[in-house]
Amino acid sequence: MTFWQRIRRFWRADIFSPRGFLLRAGVIGAAFLALHLAGLRDYASVLNGTVGPASTGWKTSAFLGVAYLVVYMALVILAPILILAAGILSLWHRRRRQQ
Amino acid sequence: MKRAKRILAACAALILAAALWLPCLHLFFARPASAFYVKEGLSPKARQLAARQMQLWADPLLRKQELDRMRLSNAEWDFMGRSFLVWALANVGLRDPSSKPACLQTMDRIIDETLQLEQQKGLCFFLMPYAKDRPYLVQPARSLFLDGEIALMLASRRILQEKPEYKPAPTARVNLIVNALRRSPRLALESYPDECWTFDHVVALAAIRLADYLDGTDHADLIRDWVAMARQKLVHPESGLLISSFATDGSPLVGPEGSSLWMIAHCLQLLDEGFARDQYDRARRQLSGRTLGFSYAREWPDSWKGPADIDSGPIIPFFEISAGSSGMAFIGASAFGDEPFLASLNATLDFAGFPSRKKGALRYCASNPVGDAALLYAATLGPIWQKVKAGRNQSL
Repeated sequence: MTFWQRIRRFWRADIFSPRGFLLRAGVIGAAFLALHLAGLRDYASVLNGTVGPASTGWKTSAFLGVAYLVVYMALVILAPILILAAGILSLWHRRRRQQ
Repeated sequence: MKRAKRILAACAALILAAALWLPCLHLFFARPASAFYVKEGLSPKARQLAARQMQLWADPLLRKQELDRMRLSNAEWDFMGRSFLVWALANVGLRDPSSKPACLQTMDRIIDETLQLEQQKGLCFFLMPYAKDRPYLVQPARSLFLDGEIALMLASRRILQEKPEYKPAPTARVNLIVNALRRSPRLALESYPDECWTFDHVVALAAIRLADYLDGTDHADLIRDWVAMARQKLVHPESGLLISSFATDGSPLVGPEGSSLWMIAHCLQLLDEGFARDQYDRARRQLSGRTLGFSYAREWPDSWKGPADIDSGPIIPFFEISAGSSGMAFIGASAFGDEPFLASLNATLDFAGFPSRKKGALRYCASNPVGDAALLYAATLGPIWQKVKAGRNQSL
């Protein structure tokens, strides 16, 4: 199987499988990286009622700030849970196969 | 395996993983309280926060950008950011004598610009727009919010190092406050038209204590009278906490609020230690919360609910976490040596405050310059209060 075939197979993994969980954790990580590199961390100031940098206005600041906050929370809370769950599920599948 | 069974197994794995991860999450952000506050010298965080704040005052363009952003929401924040920074730098200079020249330079720049702005643009420049809605009851109009904080700025500067040019200004400002308080039948001065704030009164009285220390005056009777009035008239009966604001006739306007109370308790340490400890303990019991190892503070006790406003910041539903109260809780926790609370608040700050470090300078993206200056004050407070409490004879 080629590298791209492996990637394609991984991408199409069932949502309720270890691969599916890892894929979603990876997507969250990639989304966070993209927002972080785009400089959206500065818009977290909306949490205390201050607009983001470059005077983007309230609505845009709030949208960007909340987007960053949601993806960050997903990264620190949801992604590790998905990775742990993938591990637990893999162990469980292996045990079942051994039986 | 059948799909239903697979889904069930995946859900069970997710629940188990969540049960494992969530209680451990705070461990990744846990640091001892000394990472934030130390009794002597400067904590790493205090040093980094101070570096950023001083950077702001060394770079006019950066300062303008940051202040403009804050002023869009609240002009008070521009002023309070200056106050907290001057008070903090006075403590930084006493804690770390090698940084004293830089601290004095920044403090003088802030004080001079603030006094100039107040003189040129008038009373309302640092106030919220509703200050113009109706006239102040006492004329000529003055705001205790401005007078008290400026007096404390000037006195803190003079405690770090005496400056003859600054001697008449705080004396005049303290005299204004003292005379106005003595004229007021309820010992209540306006910050906004017919609106008096407990926070502003205790800051002003702390400034009077500092002036007594510096100039050898004695206003102990006035301070005693005000504290007695506050115990009698300004305590919310259900919670035992001081209310936030009241009218000039003494009638309550806004009940107890976390965004005020932590600082009120800290200032009371100079006015009445027992009352200060009582207010801190009550605030700690009724306003602090802890979830999954992360501490935070609420804006209101269970017995009183107010509207979310610019002071409380947005309230996170269910937990009722207030950014304003949580930030100010650092001041209470540092002032009262509450290390477990401080360490846990610090974990929350690093988890949800979005720290940004560049070249040894730290700022919190979820905060703003006034929030960071208040954190810096919390990380450095102590030396000024200790000097004043020890008295002039002991510390000379």
